Amino acid sequence: MYPDLDPHPPHARLLRELPDEAAQPYGFAEFERRSRERARAARRTMPAGASFAVVIAAGVLALALRFAAPAPQGPARPVGVEAARPAGLGAGEAGTAAGTEVMEQWLATLPREPAVVRVGTRAAVTGLEDRIAQVDDLLSVARVEQARPARLAALQQERTRLVGTLLQVRYAETLVDESR
Amino acid sequence: MYCNRLIRSWPAVLAYATLAATVTAAPATAAAPPAASGTAHEGNNADLDAQLEAARKKLEQAANEVARLSAQLSTATLDQLMPLFGPPRAVIGVELDPAGTGAGARVREVSPGGPAAEAGIVPGDVIVAINGTAVTGADPTRQVVTLMRDVKPDTHVSVRVLRDGKPREYVITARPGPTLFAATDDLPDIFYGALPKVRGAFMLHGPLTDMELVTLTPRLGSYFGSDKGVLVVRAPADGALKLEDGDVILAIDGRQPSSGSHATRILGSYQPGEKLTLRILRQHKTLEIEATLPEGARPAHRELHEDGSAAERRAPPARTVIFGSGAA
Repeated sequence: MYPDLDPHPPHARLLRELPDEAAQPYGFAEFERRSRERARAARRTMPAGASFAVVIAAGVLALALRFAAPAPQGPARPVGVEAARPAGLGAGEAGTAAGTEVMEQWLATLPREPAVVRVGTRAAVTGLEDRIAQVDDLLSVARVEQARPARLAALQQERTRLVGTLLQVRYAETLVDESR
Repeated sequence: MYCNRLIRSWPAVLAYATLAATVTAAPATAAAPPAASGTAHEGNNADLDAQLEAARKKLEQAANEVARLSAQLSTATLDQLMPLFGPPRAVIGVELDPAGTGAGARVREVSPGGPAAEAGIVPGDVIVAINGTAVTGADPTRQVVTLMRDVKPDTHVSVRVLRDGKPREYVITARPGPTLFAATDDLPDIFYGALPKVRGAFMLHGPLTDMELVTLTPRLGSYFGSDKGVLVVRAPADGALKLEDGDVILAIDGRQPSSGSHATRILGSYQPGEKLTLRILRQHKTLEIEATLPEGARPAHRELHEDGSAAERRAPPARTVIFGSGAA
């Protein structure tokens, strides 16, 4: 029923025959010595590295000035940010939308409702969900009607705040459900 | 394991931090958990259970309070902006890109928990038809907005979308836009005389708050003798709605709840004091119950004294509150 318990199995003998560890782990004194050596080496190579970085930066700046010459005045904006922004979104709106994106991704990972629905908390959740749906509807209409940017921004901020609240309430709901 | 996943993500941590701060200031109508004592550590599970239940209750109360206050805040903005964009209408919970795509109206955002999200619409879908009407003209987004004006709440909307170039059909149940107006206790009564009572708020603090529901699965339903409905795991306090533990709610005034959330939405569409008829299954017998929606208890507010002690007091009578929402 039980495997044979060989007091001297081959692998145990092989382990015993292994040579002792060649080198002990180095102590704090050795660590300090190596650190000093690394620091010296870094200082020696830094001027060359720094010079290289300056040359690269100057080149990038020159290229940027060369191609940005006909562009309108104002601070330069990274190309990536502009490209990532959805059409029709202002700079502030884009930032707000990016903030809600992470929250919405997290919300999407939750089950649609807990196994046991507590009516009070669920009413809070559904109330918030309905409100966000209404804000989204208003945002669509506002954009079609070319509403003023301030109104769009107000609605977008409202959406962000409501999504944040929904996240908090759903977190509490999940926590309570999981603790049962 | 699930909690671990929650805690790893920063939004969860953010939510926890906010709620934890709120819990400390939450209206603690539940008994405060006793301080940790030797007996608790010696394995008095009953005490620990009671403490855990009290903590859960405080957490839920804090969450409800956060939701209520947040909705009140948003009401100010929405009240101001809604009249500019027409009267409230049925919504499906999508935000459309004004630019369109030529092929249709591109969905920029899908409202979390909204009707479109429940149906399966995702951001990036391109709406090409609503209820059979193509929206592939010069301004497809405007066409969708115009078509949605004719949609009635609680009706099915057939939506055809293109996803990765392939057509898909979805049926979305439109919801009514939430009723506006928030409770604002600072204003004199004269401002509230003409405002309608708002539905649903009693769910947050009333006898229905602690009611627990479970959506029937086919296997669970076979035990109770029904393949549809919502099981009442914990009946409302004070005998409200005349429900009992173990009842299966089959219909509320003819509307069949498809889930616990749906039942919550349906109940939230009534006003306190309104009458309704529940069709339920109790011990394998179908019954019709006439019930009245209970009045909601008003939220308690914490009053801090100069010496640092806190006392509960009842809030002044709520005039109009938030969370008006029709049934889906």
